[in-house]
Amino acid sequence: MDQAAIRATGLRKSFGDTHAVRGIDLDVPQGEVFGFLGPNGAGKSTVVKIILGLVQASAGEVTVLGHPAGSLAARRQIGFLPETFRFHQWMHASEFLDFHGRLAGLDRDTRRKRVDEMLELVGLAHRRRDRLSTFSKGMHQRIGLAQALLAEPPLVVLDEPTSALDPIGRRDVRDIIRNLRAAGITVFLNSHLLSEVEQVCDQVAIINRGRIVAAGDLRELLAAREVELRLGEGAEAALRASGLQPVSEQPADGRYVLTAAGDEEIARITAHLAGAGVSIYEVQVRSNSLEDLFVRLADATDQ
Amino acid sequence: MNLWVIAEHTLREAVRRRVVLAATVVIGGFLALYGVGVWFGYRDISTDPDLTMSMQRVIVGFMLQGGMWSLNFVASLLAIFLAVGSISGEIDQGTMHAVAARPVCRAQIVLGKFLGNLMLLTVFIGVSTAIMIAVVSIITGQYAERAWTAPFAMLFAAAILLAVTIAGSTRLGSLANGVVVFTLYAVALVGGVIEQIGNFLDNPVTFDIGIATSVLLPTRALWDLAGAQLAQESGAASGMTGGPFSSLNPPSGWMLLVAGVYLLLALAYAIRGFQRRDI
Repeated sequence: MDQAAIRATGLRKSFGDTHAVRGIDLDVPQGEVFGFLGPNGAGKSTVVKIILGLVQASAGEVTVLGHPAGSLAARRQIGFLPETFRFHQWMHASEFLDFHGRLAGLDRDTRRKRVDEMLELVGLAHRRRDRLSTFSKGMHQRIGLAQALLAEPPLVVLDEPTSALDPIGRRDVRDIIRNLRAAGITVFLNSHLLSEVEQVCDQVAIINRGRIVAAGDLRELLAAREVELRLGEGAEAALRASGLQPVSEQPADGRYVLTAAGDEEIARITAHLAGAGVSIYEVQVRSNSLEDLFVRLADATDQ
Repeated sequence: MNLWVIAEHTLREAVRRRVVLAATVVIGGFLALYGVGVWFGYRDISTDPDLTMSMQRVIVGFMLQGGMWSLNFVASLLAIFLAVGSISGEIDQGTMHAVAARPVCRAQIVLGKFLGNLMLLTVFIGVSTAIMIAVVSIITGQYAERAWTAPFAMLFAAAILLAVTIAGSTRLGSLANGVVVFTLYAVALVGGVIEQIGNFLDNPVTFDIGIATSVLLPTRALWDLAGAQLAQESGAASGMTGGPFSSLNPPSGWMLLVAGVYLLLALAYAIRGFQRRDI
């Protein structure tokens, strides 16, 4: 599985004078759940649409399992749940899935089997004969998920898959995503719900202002700690001498914030400061949640 | 394959969204009213001792031409309404995203929508004109053999309007597209009358302006094909016919060729427009 599920190189997209994507490199490994995060207007949806061939890139290359993004071969590999999850309201649930099965190239027997399985999976088997116009938002999202998984694609792109779901629905979707991973299917998850991403993703990329600001293994990214220190005189010189770079500082009351890879590094920093004769009045170690990381990176890019 | 899936989907959508029902009710009502009008009209002219058989035939021909022209007008409007939001409307609603992300060429989506709507228009034009010809034949006893050219000319014109409207829909929103296409249609309609006036006055400039509008949108020229056949049918090549309902000058073979090329170019423009559009 050395071939990436999605590989983007130097990806750019401009809409007139607006630069939505400003040079993105991305590697999504096969068989993993990949979280794609970013604040509103960061360029997430544009990247997703380029992967699907709905939007053409201004520059750069994207491949999906080795095929150029947007090509028919690439689209055969993808199941997609759109963020808007708006579907043809006049169709019945089973008819809607059958239509998408036909577009995906499934034969009649396979469609019949998969439609039943998918309706069962998303808990809508009892509504199979009902028009989509009678469905709630949550039901639309469920039928959209069924549509995305219908053709058993090796790559599933889910754009905000739980935004309209209640807590039970969210748990169900998390279980579905975990089952997909267990089956070796790659899931590209675009979500605002950081707790959800934290629970199911193996890797994440955080995008802001059209650029990737952090990417990698989620556990490694979250292992980094933030340490807030209240220090006495000489702190700045001691920190500079040791090569430590505060991420933010408020020298007025002697408070410095540093990042450390782990507990050992925190101990080393404090020992160094004490050795340099700097008084340490307060040490606060903060665990890095994904939300902390997200907010810090978004703020840092905005400044 | 996917072209037929989209065509079938388009046809099914028109049925489910009650477009077919609405058109059937309206046209059914019109045909019923038309039949009553022809019945009373023919009762009067057939008992008028001052009207010869040939004059009766001309009046019946007028009635058939007027009816066919009305059906042509409704078919044209139906073609525009069916296609006005076919691409942009689906993009705005968000229903296009899941479809276009499937392994289906955008050309197939455009052609599928065109074919689906064309099938609907074929049934609409075929059934309504057949009923109209039958009603006139049964009531008046005059069988208008040449009238069968009309449905084909009407379908050709509707196909062009459909292609132009879909092409507009790949670039414009539904409202703007409707305004543009309907304006073009109206210009072509008025241009046809100008062409007739130019011909009547033997004024080449006025005549050429009328021809130019036919090249802009050849729907009127195609109606002239049906209108001229209907005029000949009624034996009224004496200059009594004319006006917006018919023409004494059927379009030349070149104009039919222009119309055919126009249809293909409109479809190509629609496909190109959709292929280049970000969704």
